[in-house]
Amino acid sequence: MITEKFKKVILDELNLDDFDIQDNTTADQVPGWDSLNHINVILALEKAFNVHFKGIEVLRCKNIGDLQNLVNTKLNQ
Amino acid sequence: MIKAMFKTREIEWDRWVANAEKHPDKEAIVHWVAGEEPFRWTFSSIIKAAESFAVGLKKRGVQRGDVCAIIIRHNKYFYPIYIAISSIGAIPTVLTYPNPRLHPVKFRQGLEGMSKRSGLDWILTEKAISEVIEPLITLENSTIRGMLFPTEWEKDLKFEGKDLENIMQVRASISDTDPVLLQHSSGTTGLQKPVLLSHKAVLDHVTHYGKSINLSPEDKIISWLPLYHDMGLIAAFHLPLAFGIPVIQIDTFEWVMVPSLLLEAISKEKGTLTWLPNFAYNILANKIHEDELEGISLESMRMFINCSEPVRDKSHKLFYKRYKDYGVKPESLCACYAMAETTFAVTQTPPGTAAKVLRVKRQSIAKGVIELNGHNENSRVCVSSGRTIDGCEIKIVDEKGKYLNEGMVGEIAIYSVSLFDGYRNNPEMTVAVLKDGWFYSGDYGFCLDGEYYIIGRKKDIIIVGGKNIYPEDIEDLVNHVKGVVPGRVVAFGEYDEEIGSEQISVAAETKITNVAGHKKLKLDIIKAGMTDDINIKKVYLLPTRWLIKSSAGKPSRKANKERLVVKKEIIIWS
Repeated sequence: MITEKFKKVILDELNLDDFDIQDNTTADQVPGWDSLNHINVILALEKAFNVHFKGIEVLRCKNIGDLQNLVNTKLNQ
Repeated sequence: MIKAMFKTREIEWDRWVANAEKHPDKEAIVHWVAGEEPFRWTFSSIIKAAESFAVGLKKRGVQRGDVCAIIIRHNKYFYPIYIAISSIGAIPTVLTYPNPRLHPVKFRQGLEGMSKRSGLDWILTEKAISEVIEPLITLENSTIRGMLFPTEWEKDLKFEGKDLENIMQVRASISDTDPVLLQHSSGTTGLQKPVLLSHKAVLDHVTHYGKSINLSPEDKIISWLPLYHDMGLIAAFHLPLAFGIPVIQIDTFEWVMVPSLLLEAISKEKGTLTWLPNFAYNILANKIHEDELEGISLESMRMFINCSEPVRDKSHKLFYKRYKDYGVKPESLCACYAMAETTFAVTQTPPGTAAKVLRVKRQSIAKGVIELNGHNENSRVCVSSGRTIDGCEIKIVDEKGKYLNEGMVGEIAIYSVSLFDGYRNNPEMTVAVLKDGWFYSGDYGFCLDGEYYIIGRKKDIIIVGGKNIYPEDIEDLVNHVKGVVPGRVVAFGEYDEEIGSEQISVAAETKITNVAGHKKLKLDIIKAGMTDDINIKKVYLLPTRWLIKSSAGKPSRKANKERLVVKKEIIIWS
C-alpha cells in the first residue's frame, strides 16, 4: 500500500499539488514522470527513506506498488 | 585506418555481404539486455538471419520501393529485419514504439499523418499494438497495405529456385542512387519531416565521417540511442555495419532507468566510441551511486561525442570530474553537429583533441560580431562542434543569404555530398530550406579559426533530451483545455541546469482565480501534454491580457519567457 510519505516525495519531486497514486498506478500515468525525470524520482525516494536501490531492482518494478514494496523491503533489512 | 572503397556502384547490401565474407565470425551487433547474457550477432549470422526475413517479406508481397515502417521494441531480431528490408530494395524507416502514456488515438492519428507524408506501405510491428494500428489499414485512401509481425516468423528460410533468381535480379538492378532509408527530422509524430536517403549518400557519409573520427577495425561502438533518431541510426547502426566494426546496442528504455548500464557495457566490452546528447553527461555525472561504479574502467574510450543538443562546457566538466579516476581522458570529450537532412554529421572535433571552448562577450553576440572576453562574468561560454568533415561545406549567412566572414554570427547553411533531395511529399517545406544545393539549417552560429560554434536557432524549437519539439504542437494541445483562454497560450523551453537539457514550460491565461481551480487547471494542462507524450514540467497560470503580443498579434514566446523566467515578474490576479 502506498504510504503518505512515499506519495508526498513523488508529488514534491514532480512539482504536483495532488494526484491519486495507487499500488497499480504506473509511472507513465503520473503527470511529469517521464524518462528525463525518472531518475530524479528514484533519487528523491532513496534520499527520503535513506535506502539505496540497485538498477536491476528498479527495472523489475512494474508499477508504483512494486517500488513501494522495494522501499519497504529495504527498510526491513 | 580503413581505406575507403570506391567502386562505380555499391549498395549497402553489397557492403554488408562483403563484410560477412571478409570476417564472418567477427561480432557485428551485441544486443544488450540488463541482467541477461548479451546476444551476439556476427557479420555472417546477421546476414543469414536477414536472408530468412527477406524470404518472409517477399512471400508476404513486400516489393522493391515499398516503405516499411518498423515499430518494434528492443529486440535482437530488429537488426536483421532492418537489413532484410533493405536487401530486397524496399525502404526501412524506424518509428517510435508508443509510450504507454501516449493515448492510442493520438498514436494512431500520428501514424496516419506520418503515413500521408511519408507514404508508408507496410507496418512491421508486434501483436501487442496491432489492435491500435489495425483501423489505419482499412481507412479509405490509406497508403498502408498491411501489418506484419516478423519476430514471429520462421528463422531459417532461404531463397531457392526461381525465387533465388528473382531476388538476385532485384539486387543487381538496385542503383546506388536508389533510396536506402527514410529517416524523420524534428517534430512530433505525424508532423515529422521525412528525409529519404540513397545508398550513395549513406555510404559516402559513413566513409567521410569514419575518416573524421579515425575509425579503425579495432573500434567498438557502445550505444543506448534510439534507432528512430539519426544519431542512433547512422552513427550506431549504419556506420559500424558498413565499416565492419562491432556495436553494442543497449535498450534506450533500460538506459533511462539505469544509466550506469552504458558504463558497464563500455567497461565489459572495451568500447571506444559513443555518441550522447548533452543531458546524458549530467545524468552520468550526477545520478549514479559510487557503488555502481565498482570495477568500472573507461580507459578504452577514445571519444565521447556530444551531439543533438546544445553542447555545454559545464556538462563536460562535470562528467570529466566524476570519471577521470575511471580512465576518462580530457581529449576524449568532443562534439559533433549533425542533422537528418545531411544524413548525419556536418562537423566533428578532430580525434585526440577536446572540444574547444571560448568565452564570448554577450553583447557582442547580440551585435553579431564575436569578441572574446577572458574570464569576465558577462561572457557566454561557447563550445565548438569541431571542423567540417570531408564532403561537407558550411557558410554562415545573414538574413538576405549574404556570406558572412569568420567571427560573425549568422544562419548556418550546409552543402554536403550526402545531402537529402528534399522532404518526401512536401515540396513547400523543401523549397523553404533547400536553395541552390545548400541546406539552410535554421541554426545560428559562427566560425572562428575553422571551428564551428552553434549558439542558437531561428525557430523556437525546444530540445528535450535530444528530441526536437515544436511549441506550436504543445500550444495546440493546451488551447483545448477547459479553463484556458483559447489562443492565449505560449510554450517555451527552460534550461534545467541539473539535468543538462531543456524542459517544457507553458504559460496560459485563464479567467479562473481561485486556488483550487488553479490546481485543477494546472493538472489538466499537464495531462493534455501527456496525451501526446509531451511532458510539461512547469505551468504558469496568468490573468487575462497578461501575455505580451508580438507584432503579428500572437502571444510572443520570447517576450513572455523573458518576463516569467528572466525578470521573474510576479503574477497579480485582479
